[in-house]
Amino acid sequence: MDVGFSMSNSAPGEEPPFELAKKVIQKFVQRQVFAETKDEMALVLFGTDSTKNPLEQDGQYQNITVHRNLMIPDFELLEEIANQIHPESQQADWLDALVVCMDLLKKQTEGKKYDRLVIVLLTDLCTQASPDELDIIIDNLKTAGITLQFFLPFPAGDDEEGGGDGDRGGSGHPGAGKGLSREQEQGLDMVKHVMLSLDEEDGLDEIYSFRNALEQLCMFKRIERRPTAWPCQLTIGSSLSIRIVGYKAVMDERLKKTWITVDAQTNKRDDVKRETVYCLDDDNETEVQKEDIIQGFRYGSDIVPFSKVDQDQMKYKHDGKCFAVLGFTKQSNIHRHQFIGNQVIKVFAPKDDEHAGVALSALIRALDELNMVAIVRYAYDRRCNPQVGAAFPCIKQHYECLMYIQLPFMEDLSHFTFPSLENKKFVPTEAQLSAVDSLIDSMMLVEKDESGEQKDMLKVHHIPNPAFQRHFQCLHHRAVNPGTPLPPMEPWLKAALERPEVISERCQAPLEEVKRKFPLTAVEKKKQLKTSAQIFGKDTGEPDAKKAKGDEEEEDYNLADIAEGSVTSVGSVDPARDFRTLVKLKSLPFGEVCQQLTHRIEQLLSNKNTHYYMKSITCIQAFREQSVKLGKADLYNSYLQSLKRSIPNRGLEVFWDLLVQDAVTLISKDEVEGSTVSKNEANQFLITDEKKEEVAAPTTEDTGDVDDLLDMM
Amino acid sequence: MPFLLSGEYKVTGRDSLVFLVDASKEMFIKEEDGKPSNFDMTMQVVRSVYTSKITSSYRDLVALVFYGTEQSKNPRNSFKHVYVYHDLDEPGAKRVQEVDELRGSKGAQLAAKTMGSGETSLGDALWCCANLYSDIKLRLSHKRLMIFTCRDDPHEGDSVKDRQGRTKASDLRDTGVIINLMHLMKPGGFDVSLYFRDIITPPEDESDLGLQLEPCAKLEDLQNRVRAKEKKKRVLNRLNLCLGEGINVAVGVYSTAVPARKPPPIKLYRETNEPVRSKTRVFHTQTGSLLLPSELKKAQVYGKKQIVMETDEVDSIKKFEDPGMFLIGFKPMEKLKLHHHVRPAVFLYPEEDDVKGSSCLFSALLKRCSERNMFALCRFTARRNYSPRFVALVPQEEESDEGKGQITPAGFNVIYLPFADDIRTLDAPQLPCASQEQVDKMKQIVTKLRFKYRSDAFENPAIQQHFRNLEALALDMVAPEDIEDLIMPKVDQIDTRLGPLVQEFKDLVYPANYNPETKPATTGNPEKKPKVELPEDELRAHVQNSTLGKLTVPVLKDACKKFGVRTTGTKKQELIDALIAQLSS
Repeated sequence: MDVGFSMSNSAPGEEPPFELAKKVIQKFVQRQVFAETKDEMALVLFGTDSTKNPLEQDGQYQNITVHRNLMIPDFELLEEIANQIHPESQQADWLDALVVCMDLLKKQTEGKKYDRLVIVLLTDLCTQASPDELDIIIDNLKTAGITLQFFLPFPAGDDEEGGGDGDRGGSGHPGAGKGLSREQEQGLDMVKHVMLSLDEEDGLDEIYSFRNALEQLCMFKRIERRPTAWPCQLTIGSSLSIRIVGYKAVMDERLKKTWITVDAQTNKRDDVKRETVYCLDDDNETEVQKEDIIQGFRYGSDIVPFSKVDQDQMKYKHDGKCFAVLGFTKQSNIHRHQFIGNQVIKVFAPKDDEHAGVALSALIRALDELNMVAIVRYAYDRRCNPQVGAAFPCIKQHYECLMYIQLPFMEDLSHFTFPSLENKKFVPTEAQLSAVDSLIDSMMLVEKDESGEQKDMLKVHHIPNPAFQRHFQCLHHRAVNPGTPLPPMEPWLKAALERPEVISERCQAPLEEVKRKFPLTAVEKKKQLKTSAQIFGKDTGEPDAKKAKGDEEEEDYNLADIAEGSVTSVGSVDPARDFRTLVKLKSLPFGEVCQQLTHRIEQLLSNKNTHYYMKSITCIQAFREQSVKLGKADLYNSYLQSLKRSIPNRGLEVFWDLLVQDAVTLISKDEVEGSTVSKNEANQFLITDEKKEEVAAPTTEDTGDVDDLLDMM
Repeated sequence: MPFLLSGEYKVTGRDSLVFLVDASKEMFIKEEDGKPSNFDMTMQVVRSVYTSKITSSYRDLVALVFYGTEQSKNPRNSFKHVYVYHDLDEPGAKRVQEVDELRGSKGAQLAAKTMGSGETSLGDALWCCANLYSDIKLRLSHKRLMIFTCRDDPHEGDSVKDRQGRTKASDLRDTGVIINLMHLMKPGGFDVSLYFRDIITPPEDESDLGLQLEPCAKLEDLQNRVRAKEKKKRVLNRLNLCLGEGINVAVGVYSTAVPARKPPPIKLYRETNEPVRSKTRVFHTQTGSLLLPSELKKAQVYGKKQIVMETDEVDSIKKFEDPGMFLIGFKPMEKLKLHHHVRPAVFLYPEEDDVKGSSCLFSALLKRCSERNMFALCRFTARRNYSPRFVALVPQEEESDEGKGQITPAGFNVIYLPFADDIRTLDAPQLPCASQEQVDKMKQIVTKLRFKYRSDAFENPAIQQHFRNLEALALDMVAPEDIEDLIMPKVDQIDTRLGPLVQEFKDLVYPANYNPETKPATTGNPEKKPKVELPEDELRAHVQNSTLGKLTVPVLKDACKKFGVRTTGTKKQELIDALIAQLSS
């Protein structure tokens, strides 16, 4: 990076090239840090006041400082860039700096494996560079296999072949407007010369402007993983095999790191210890040693002890790595929505094996021409369970391959049936359908442009995963600005997840039309459990739940008592509640309270209406519950028996049916000692009567008619 | 969005299923061609449901009740001719064995001995089942009762009993029990309209009435029919598909293909085989005092720097928007790339009960997308604190088979699309292509090995083996039943079918001396890589330059050993962290 004095010159209101160059480096390093690539980086400054580099000698290579040697970038480097790098007052020859960089790369990569060597120069080209040794430098770059990239404050050229950002040039770029100095023009010519000698065709594409670079660097690097080769053999039967190599091509990518837990005070991980202990499910929670624990599995209601050793011995075993064809089938038999797993594997022939290439190519083309796929058994290795999947043919301009995608096992599928949508109630009218049609027309994301070529406005697979971008944005913010709240989401990220602007404008009117044509009303949801209980008593008659509910209600009543003052008699608003309260308060004798309650029940029953019936039943339930609690069964039992006797005369069969459904029986000996009713009698109390009634009914009626029965309910 | 409903509908309670099986003499009549009797077939189905419940949803409650028996056995013995063989409970090994005992001719004998055949009162039988439900102290979320019978007129014209049966059936339905009929073969045909039409729960909509009125003759059919009904559709969540401001279609999200896994093991105390509970405590290493969640923070290390956040900040980073689906636009189907697959699809169906009018708009969208061969591109946030994904809503039209069973329902399949991060860049090797002659030969091979793929044709051998093993242990069997590995290529059959084609193809593509089975002669170093040992200064240099990541795990492990670094982890990053901690101090 050029830190020489000209780098801090700028037109008023514009950021000096120095600041822009620094930002480019910062963004670049940030991305590298969070992507955790193993790429190493060195930082060489030129135009520095001092000189510190291995080549300095006899006044050569002056004002060039190797700030950091080749190593993996980290936050330390970021902090140094932020705090230690300032514009300085000297100038240095950028070609000299290039030589220092080449020397550094040569020495510090010795013995290391690397894919690529790159030197990135950020400069304004304002210093005179001596072109004497230009050709030697170019030769050396070529032999060392070093790629060059230039970042300049201005776009590379006004001519046609003007590099990657030629179309973006213009007033936005400082320097471009006021024209270049002579040194800069000379420098640019030299840069172009160097770049074109290194790569005749695309050399100029590697010259960028600061602004353009910053735009491209704003997002964090996408997660990249080096593809690992999976060599195997594709087999068809016992004697036909083709050597193949598989690579994961598409994969539901996760963040590489997980959060660790640290102590809030010291921020140290080691201060926190997590310990898991095992205990029996008894009252004392008796602790059990880890060695005394074995594994078991559930087999329905049973738990079957199954030691790890036995499991290993008995488990399904197979021969390991495999890509074996089971058969071939029409592509139309494979349903895309039944794809399973989270990856797609591309299968090639090994790059050094032409014969395998031809054999695989024959298979790929055969499948493609027949519109078929291979169904294969795929096992990654011995430790992994085998899968079944489909290998699709894939023929691209530059290569051919099979694409393997996992298919479901029988156990993975659930077949649900849904009511048909061809129902009269839901079938849309012609007018409605045409409203939907215009909506679709207005929201087409793929359109033909003037030249007749299809243009996709939103290529989702070009958008970086917003979760990762946000994650790194917040981590970066916290690292650089500790103690401040997390920032809002980046505007570009938000925009990337929205409808393209053209679409949202275009679809306004059709959307309004859809809104008019399709009435949509949100249904107010009631609590489902309550309603069913209200209509037909408790459907499951859960004694435990009932009891728990009773206790809960009791709590409420106590609170209500304090708030409302004491209850003096069983009122008509909520007789069951009053009854419970009075029994609890013991201000009146139990018999008296019961009498008040039965009085209210009789009143309620005189209104022949389901609502009143339900209320009576809650009273009877309260009566029963309190009687059991106090161990006094007689009053309740005799009332219920007399009530039952009076049913036919009073025409209360419907009410009685409800009572039966709620299984409100007599209180038996088993529940209250003093009761004269046996458990069996208590249960039969409801049943026998029903039978009698059923027998009696047909004599007066003709054969049972379903509609009548329904009416009765 | 005014009413996002997800999260409000937690499924609580257990599913329950009662098998109410006719035990009349007719059920035991054997077909002349050696086919199993209706009773035998039913027991096989019951067994398979028991075992499938055990493997997939052991918390469901199942009961087996016989009616039309001579003997009676029920909780209060208040019903004659009703025999509760199993009351509502979780199925287990013992119950499977007990159902096994009722299978085959021996089973028929046992049934005759213990239960016998007698009078029929469906009303009593249903009432008894109602009591089974009400005796359960658990909350039941889904109640189903399946009647297995081959008699379409169970009371033979006794109108009192008929009426009783109808009343009880209606009572049961009113308490939320769904009653299905699994009617079996009867000479002269089974007439559902004679009686059972009034007993069963009417189908979900009128047009379904014709569905499954044919009796089951084959075990497989019966099994499929039971399987289709036995599982309740579980909605993953309900949310709104938002087309634009104020246009919200309520939809339910269902998963139709999820990889089944081996269930997790349970830890047991060696002495008593009782399950143990695990308790995890977090405490301070120095002081030994317990740490509350508020005394903890979360951290990640990047570029040698530890970045710390509050626990709730970690959650808030994940949150983008409330759950829901937002329509972005439409694309032609050919823009949906086959290889854009990152996870199994889910299924979308309208929820008329949440937003009235949803079904109509949904249906219109589905129809138009399907006719115009388009998919809808949406942004989808499945749950709270889930980041959004883009999905393609692919229309699927309803399809039924001849037996009027639904093969595919109408709705949208939701295909998850990859982000840029999910797509890897590969260097495709440049290799020669096959000639047409070679391709044609392969076409012959492919054509010879054609078959009709069905997605439910393959069982997972690993899971099947696991459950067979458990079954053997639970039922004290000598050895687990053998499983058939259906995803093993039938090599012999393939070889016979292909005959000389294989050699002909090989002659066309492979030179004489080529053997694809062996590894090609490696051009690099043929001998195995020598064990790398790292001198201390080099290691220190790596620590200094933070280039430890370049070393391989075995080398790092060796280094750890050499410097006496105690590591608990085996992950690369853990080894690196440990080494840095040791050597930079």
